[in-house]
Amino acid sequence: MADPIITARDVNIFYDTTQALFNVDLDILPNKVTALIGPSGCGKSTFLRAINRMNDLIPSCRMEGSLTIGNQDIYARDVDVVALRAQVGMVFQKPNPFPKSIFENVAYGLKIHKLTTSKSELQDRVEWSLKNAGLWSEVADRLDQPGNSLSGGQQQRLCIARAIAVQPKVILMDEPCSALDPIATAVVEELIDNLRKDYTIVIVTHSMQQAARISQRTAFFHLGKLVEFGDTKTVFTTPNDERTQNYITGRIG
Amino acid sequence: MTHEHIVKKFDRNLEKIKVSVLEMGEIVIQQVEDATAVLVTFDSKEADRITMLDRWVNGLNKEIYDRAEILIVRRQPMALDLRQSLAPINISSELERIGDHAKSTAKRAEIINKGDPVQAALDLILEMSRLVQTMLRDVLVAYANLDVELAAEIRMRDREVDNLNKQMLEAAIALTRAMPENAEALIHLVLISRNFERAGDHVCNIARFVHQIATGEDLKASVT
Repeated sequence: MADPIITARDVNIFYDTTQALFNVDLDILPNKVTALIGPSGCGKSTFLRAINRMNDLIPSCRMEGSLTIGNQDIYARDVDVVALRAQVGMVFQKPNPFPKSIFENVAYGLKIHKLTTSKSELQDRVEWSLKNAGLWSEVADRLDQPGNSLSGGQQQRLCIARAIAVQPKVILMDEPCSALDPIATAVVEELIDNLRKDYTIVIVTHSMQQAARISQRTAFFHLGKLVEFGDTKTVFTTPNDERTQNYITGRIG
Repeated sequence: MTHEHIVKKFDRNLEKIKVSVLEMGEIVIQQVEDATAVLVTFDSKEADRITMLDRWVNGLNKEIYDRAEILIVRRQPMALDLRQSLAPINISSELERIGDHAKSTAKRAEIINKGDPVQAALDLILEMSRLVQTMLRDVLVAYANLDVELAAEIRMRDREVDNLNKQMLEAAIALTRAMPENAEALIHLVLISRNFERAGDHVCNIARFVHQIATGEDLKASVT
């Protein structure tokens, strides 16, 4: 088995005095889709946001333990959070294109991280990103139109194109399909499966069917604790922990 | 099971379909019992009735399949629920096969009637039938209660049925040599014996499904 790309050790996260995560140890393998599931308030989104230090934006939030990507401790004092976020892209629940053109949405990260040296290279990278996000054929002739003129599903793929433009190692997704219709969801799910050849994907989803469809590994969180983590097939067919079974089968646990 | 579903209707649907499988099981037990009786009474009307009954059993199998299919589509069950939703399909299909063997037995009884039944061979078959009927009753109890230990014990009992089948074959060979005029009846008795041996195997398959529902472990590849 490949070495993990993300390693969490004894992670505890607090909001003021309330503890949201308890002693989480988790290894995320490269080029796999890892699904984080669990009831609302279980800590799965808190864990996801810890991976790109988005919790830093919440003043009351405090983290203990270690989180490494590659061999880099992402909570070390000398870490440049902006550079970290170029390595760890994020896609949110609600598509949130910038109020700019389709082209500028994708070019934005490339520009701020100065990842291209010429206009033609920038254009190539935008085209590459849109192609890899499965959106190019739908927008090639209207790149100058506003990003928010697209449909919901297209906007979400635009956000994915924006995330992959800077070629991150990891893409975090927080319920990326919950605002999409079933067809747009299927398109994004197909895209996620294609993207894992080049990226490691960690996805929070409330849809257990979606977790079962798209992930290779599944982590079940409950009351801030990582209850079970393993191959998706095992977690959804023969889970080890009764709490996992009760949750995935819709029983009161 | 320690917890109920949040969607109570799912619990009710699972329970209802399980009850249908158990009811189908009761009918199949009766079919086996009646087919065995025909071996002794040679009542051809009764044999015809058992044959007709088999169509009904086949219909029940189809009905249970359709209901389980709808349940799976509606609830998209996982883990224990998925196994509980698939079990009616698998178990009713095994029951349906046991019913086929009962029908075959009843049909052959009429043919034996034409020859001279060989009591020693028939006694072996009656003993097999008793064992298979008890196994079938018990496996339905094991399914109703998801009793893994009882299911394991039933699988062990099948060895006795297999032994009797072997004894039956040896007896038939010896009797055919001694009394060639009874060869036709003996061949049919061998095939009837085979019916019960296969019925025992289907009971074992049901016992394996019970183990799988309760534990998630698939015993198909193992010997018992």
